[in-house]
Amino acid sequence: MSLDDHAPSIGILANPAAGRDIRRLVAQASVFPIAEKRNMITRLFSSLGLLGVETVYMMSDGNGIADRIRHALETPPPPGQSWPRVVFIDMPIEDTAADTLVAVGKMVEYGVGGIIVLGGDGTHRLVASQAGDIPITALSTGTNNVFPAMREATIAGLAAGLVATGQVPVAEGSTRNKALRVDIDGVESDLALVDLCTSTALWVGSRALWKAEGLDQLFLSFAEADAIGLSSIGGLIRPLAREAENGMLLNLAEPDGAPMVVTAPLAPGLMVDIGVEAVHELCPGEAVSLRATGGVVALDGEREIEFSPNQKLAVRLEWDGPLTLDIPRVMAYAAENKLLMRMDTVSSHAKQVNQ
Amino acid sequence: MQLSKDDLLKSYRMMKTIREFEERLHVEFATGEIPGFVHLYAGEEASAAGFCMHLDDRDKIASNHRGHGHSIGKGCDVHAMMSEIYGRQDGLCAGKGGSMHIADLSKGMMGANGIVGGGPPLVCGAGLAAKKLGTQGVAIAFFGDGASNQGTTMESLNLATVWNLPCIFVVENNGYAEATSSKYSVACDDAADRASAFNMPGVVVDGHDFFAVHEAAGEAVKRARDGSGPTLIEVKLNRYYGHFEGDAQTYRGKDEVKNLRATRDCLDLFRAKVTSAKLVEDSELDAIDSDVGALIDDAVDKAKAAPRPPADELLTDVYVSY
Repeated sequence: MSLDDHAPSIGILANPAAGRDIRRLVAQASVFPIAEKRNMITRLFSSLGLLGVETVYMMSDGNGIADRIRHALETPPPPGQSWPRVVFIDMPIEDTAADTLVAVGKMVEYGVGGIIVLGGDGTHRLVASQAGDIPITALSTGTNNVFPAMREATIAGLAAGLVATGQVPVAEGSTRNKALRVDIDGVESDLALVDLCTSTALWVGSRALWKAEGLDQLFLSFAEADAIGLSSIGGLIRPLAREAENGMLLNLAEPDGAPMVVTAPLAPGLMVDIGVEAVHELCPGEAVSLRATGGVVALDGEREIEFSPNQKLAVRLEWDGPLTLDIPRVMAYAAENKLLMRMDTVSSHAKQVNQ
Repeated sequence: MQLSKDDLLKSYRMMKTIREFEERLHVEFATGEIPGFVHLYAGEEASAAGFCMHLDDRDKIASNHRGHGHSIGKGCDVHAMMSEIYGRQDGLCAGKGGSMHIADLSKGMMGANGIVGGGPPLVCGAGLAAKKLGTQGVAIAFFGDGASNQGTTMESLNLATVWNLPCIFVVENNGYAEATSSKYSVACDDAADRASAFNMPGVVVDGHDFFAVHEAAGEAVKRARDGSGPTLIEVKLNRYYGHFEGDAQTYRGKDEVKNLRATRDCLDLFRAKVTSAKLVEDSELDAIDSDVGALIDDAVDKAKAAPRPPADELLTDVYVSY
């Protein structure tokens, strides 16, 4: 139950660790400073406060965002603004991905009307695993992402606030996403939102996947031609929309001798030749056994699972991924229903136009 | 980069040697036989090993006050190190440097260092020498989150980029500068963030996972050898003991270390990974454990039995006249 029943509330999940991985060394990936995440969050506060969101729940962290927000809250908001009450979730801090899972679980328990996520594909994947049917507002903090978009936080905050306060119905402004679910020995283990790739590498190591060597099978829930990362391989062969019913499976091979070779942007500034043996359609609900015996599974571009030869892994595409807010649709609904207009302003403006 | 079985065993031996060396010093220091201060590296082994496995005789490292792990990683003799810490004549520095000034230039180990932030300027010199001599050598400075705040470190990061030096700056962030939390004392959120201000790549790696460190270190070493310039890598890890031996650690949570040892120990994680991947047998690692235990026992026994430097040699090697 919410700490404050019936009052509109929102969760904000900002991953303090996003944007520091090895792609800064092996490619030209951007650095997204925490100071900018803090600025984005305060812009969210401005929008959420305007729309009557009373409480924002945030993850406690050991890496700085929570401290910076506390510091921001020590001074009054800009003139004319009223920010929501901010509650930092009381939780143990491990400084690992587990913190995100715990925080989102608490947000769900408190009955938030939406969760705004600042992070990359990996952070969104973690939130999606816990959020159930609470709509996610997906904001990218970096240049290496496919699932979340780079958007102005002010507008994202307006959209999330309009839905959380019931001014825009969830059904009007949200979209269901697909998920790629991986089963280990018949037990559901984890999910990916965009791409799931197997590799013959043995270790998760520094996690990011940026080399062609050893890539074996690539499962995609969607594939855009202008994407960055693994899904660009599929996107450059046969673009597949987010809303398309099916997914895609690519069996990969060494470029030498492969029937197709795609030059794919695997990371910012890093174009790599990838050999493709075959492309298959992936139907929802169909479990596909991995052909590799042992290796690692990368979820949304990050090596997450090490599996041994005696483990059986299968991947399923399901239409049970997270509900994400479609910000343009929410704002169009708001415009159509004049949710951010005052009628006296409309009439005086109309008079001026008519004169 | 897939490690061969020999390299996996060598990596484990390196980490295990560091661990046993430090665990034994923890016990022996309490007897009062070891002079001076001792700062133990136990818990941080994956960092030293992850980097040093990529190094060879061309390369140089500069360490800090917590320098035993880096010294072992770079190939310093364990017996001579133990004697040095006991202040004996057959020590690496003839017993006059002690724990905080262990050095062996013949191994490219430019020294532990009692000055916080003293190592980064040294590797700029070593990197410049390697560049000018065309050796393709790499120079690595290991330092902590406290030293990451020092002016010497900032100047070195700047110089390394300006001169495009084959240097790697490794921030071993164990969460505390002495007793002060890095979350309080480091103004940016990750020390790696500072890299962008000096126009070099900065990444964070999990220092509990040898393979994560090894992979990032390999890329940074390759970049340095290729002439592409310096890198800053922040290794997030934990130390199992206090800042120094005798530190009551009142600034740490009650079960903090106990939980870390149980869940994130780099040696346990290494063993679990290589055995479950069926690359190495438990028995092979057990054999290394036995070897290393005997090595450390012998090093302690010999150090205790070795003579101290004679009084008339106390001032030799201490001052250099130019």
